[in-house]
Amino acid sequence: MTRGARVAEWVVLYALSIVVALAISSVIVEATGGDWWPVLEALIDGSIKAPGRWGETLGIAAPLLLVALGTVISAKAGLINIGQEGQLLMGAAFAVFFSFRIGGPGPLNVLLLLLFGALGGAVWASAAGLLRYWRGVPEVLSTLLLVFVAVQAVGYGLKWQWLLLADEASRGNRNLVSEQLAKNNRIPRPDIFGNEFPITVYVALALALAVAYGLARTVWGFRLRMLGHNPRAAQRSGVSSTVYGATALAIGGAFAGLAGAAMFAGGGFSFGNYRLVPGFSDNIGWTGLLVALMARERALPAVVAAFVFAMLRTGAGFVNSTGVESRITDVVQGLLVLALLAPPAVVFLRDRHRARAAATERV
Amino acid sequence: MTDATTEMTGSGGPDPSEPAVELAGITKRFGGILACDQVDLALRRGRVHGILGENGAGKSTLMKVLIGLVLPDAGSIRIDGQLRAIHDPLAAAALGIAMVHQHFSLVDQLTVWENVALGEEGRLRSTGVRDRVAAISEQYGLEIDPDARVGELTAGLRQRVEIIKCLRRDPHILVFDEPTSVLTPEESEQLFSTLREVVAAEGRAVVLVSHKLDEVLHATDEITIMRQGRVVDRRPTGEADARSLARAMVGREVSLRSERAAFGIADIEEAADSGTAAEIEEAERESDTGAEHRQSAETTPSNEPVLRIEGVSVRGRGGARLLDDISLDLRAGEIVGVAGVEGNGQRTLGDLLSSLIPVDAGRVVVNDSAVRTSAPGAMAKAGIGVIPEDRHDSGVVLDMTVAENLLMVDPHRVARHGVMDKGQVTETAQRMIEEFDIGCSGPDAPLWSLSGGNQQRVVLARELAAEPDVLVAAQPTRGLDVGAIEYMTDRLRQTAADGVAVLLISSELEEILELSDRIVVMSRGRIVGELSQADANLETLGLLMGGSTE
Repeated sequence: MTRGARVAEWVVLYALSIVVALAISSVIVEATGGDWWPVLEALIDGSIKAPGRWGETLGIAAPLLLVALGTVISAKAGLINIGQEGQLLMGAAFAVFFSFRIGGPGPLNVLLLLLFGALGGAVWASAAGLLRYWRGVPEVLSTLLLVFVAVQAVGYGLKWQWLLLADEASRGNRNLVSEQLAKNNRIPRPDIFGNEFPITVYVALALALAVAYGLARTVWGFRLRMLGHNPRAAQRSGVSSTVYGATALAIGGAFAGLAGAAMFAGGGFSFGNYRLVPGFSDNIGWTGLLVALMARERALPAVVAAFVFAMLRTGAGFVNSTGVESRITDVVQGLLVLALLAPPAVVFLRDRHRARAAATERV
Repeated sequence: MTDATTEMTGSGGPDPSEPAVELAGITKRFGGILACDQVDLALRRGRVHGILGENGAGKSTLMKVLIGLVLPDAGSIRIDGQLRAIHDPLAAAALGIAMVHQHFSLVDQLTVWENVALGEEGRLRSTGVRDRVAAISEQYGLEIDPDARVGELTAGLRQRVEIIKCLRRDPHILVFDEPTSVLTPEESEQLFSTLREVVAAEGRAVVLVSHKLDEVLHATDEITIMRQGRVVDRRPTGEADARSLARAMVGREVSLRSERAAFGIADIEEAADSGTAAEIEEAERESDTGAEHRQSAETTPSNEPVLRIEGVSVRGRGGARLLDDISLDLRAGEIVGVAGVEGNGQRTLGDLLSSLIPVDAGRVVVNDSAVRTSAPGAMAKAGIGVIPEDRHDSGVVLDMTVAENLLMVDPHRVARHGVMDKGQVTETAQRMIEEFDIGCSGPDAPLWSLSGGNQQRVVLARELAAEPDVLVAAQPTRGLDVGAIEYMTDRLRQTAADGVAVLLISSELEEILELSDRIVVMSRGRIVGELSQADANLETLGLLMGGSTE
């Protein structure tokens, strides 16, 4: 199949499944007494059309993309990391700890804060790596379970002033909340055409390019992919599954941690408004995992996928204001997510079927 | 559908002189490769039709078209003169077409009669099925115990179960896909007499798909020869001989000597009627590669071993001794054959030299320095190239490109500062593809799109490109066709002549005897004997392999 035909096929598949999801949604909305047209309008308004909204969407797309990139890297090594939510939260916690307990003011501290975030995520993912390569615990279990440990650990940190909790003066009557990041320690949010978003959007884009290039063209990426496809051939060719696998997990975690730090220092009301609060991660880790899935574990398609998922999120906020019951909005959002994941699944199943047919053909 | 069923059950059927099956202009393309190109084929009742061809010649694809596993891009199928579309195996079964596959589809945990009854509809009556199994096995001389558990049967008996499964449906057209690949010579003999029975007594049409000249000559009435998706020749078996068939199949002259391994079963007729031919072969062999090799081995004497395996023991799970105190020296320029019945530690030896497993005792020394076992890539780095027994296990990465597979062991050679140079990658791969004549659509073709023989060449090319001091070739010609075997054999000789120490692990005694300067025999993880080429023959090797230590 030519490249053009393949792209056309994808476009048709996505269009088809989104139309189906919208059709089902409209039936549900109408059946529960709403009007589906305003709902659709609200979805578009909220995500891109209304003033300032696409900036908001970009602000959400950036951490989604970062999480997805980390997922792509671990997936290429044949590892199933599904603990991004926890790694992200840990990254945010590390960034907070650095900001209020170690660092001072100034631009350099913004950079260091981000690096600490990445470190936090890497540490958390490496716990799973250690269990995997030292004791043989499947990473799919350990990464998932470590999410719940991370939630508890951060909750604990938010109880102690020497860890994450803000002092009494700055937390007012709130509990379990960190201090608010000082203005000169925040990631800049320039205004472009009336839209505001943190410059980490550019960082995320640059990293997407770097990851795509690194996996496709560097010796490291080549060996990582080899490990993912055939661990024994890789072992024979000098690729240590322990070194490469553990590194891939750590890098995957680092990306999630970076996303957490960027959320904390990048602003946006849904992300705690420069404070670490319980529930701070707000499903960005889980959604980022879906982004990677939709992009079929490739870095560049993840850019588009991240934006689409971010649109769903910002658009859903506006749908709530149309008076449709929030549970219905959840259903609509769920249907759209399914619509986005269906085409990769369809193509994957078909390709696998073809590959198998071809493989048995040539035995 | 209804008339298909009546035809199937009707004993008389249409005019017997008409072909039972007529395939016309069958064309099937997979990606860039034409697997079948305008193939015509007619099968007649009461005849065994041989389809001969190398791996990847398109014979399997053609048969899959017939039984509905593959849909052709073009062409027509007539069954008893009627145009039919066969969309799936069920449709084929309804038309009375059945196939005994190369790989069995049996349930090990079930008994023979239960396996035979699988896929039947309606109520299961054990006595009925048992009686039927007994009747079929008596009628065709396929002796088997209906209550035996399939998992405990030998390959030959399992195949019998498959055949009984097929015959039970009373097919008009029976396809055997490489049926002897798992059988001993006696079992093959038995199979062929059954085949005769099925055909002669009952007027069924039988297809025998094979790449073994010998069995096609022995068991068929007419032969169709395929090469690269096309029918290149067809003739009655009476007018065919091994040499001309081999030429048609490969498309050029081949030395029959290296074919012997491919033919598998002992080649009785050949030996009987062509004593002179054998002498000529012998002379040919002496005059070319064989003599050269021997000469160079003499002119480059080397007493220092390149590879020393010193007292290596490896235990498996549960403490089983996979390798038991193995010691072996390899010198530059010599080929040492490791003979033995499969499952006596050869695979473990290959894994050990591929850095895949650690040792429990002993050490491996290459060029006077000990190599860390099971450290990733250590053996490759020390200069040991490996053609593994199962290339899909540790030899290739199916989902990567040909170029990537060629550069797996040493990607740094086409990289600068850790970044691979795309131009150099393509160029290097292209050069290797040409040098080793790897059949593929280009360096960027995914490896799974290559035929088995070409995948094996990718492994060979990569391992030789690393300029190893030692080359381990484990079952290097298994599953390959005549041309590919000849190629591999010549390459191994050449490699040794170039001063590489070659360790040939093989269960094909012919291959071992033909190539090795020295032969060691493995049994139960131990080396039970060592013979020089002059002392070794089938009998002495056989005795040692059987575990008898004189």
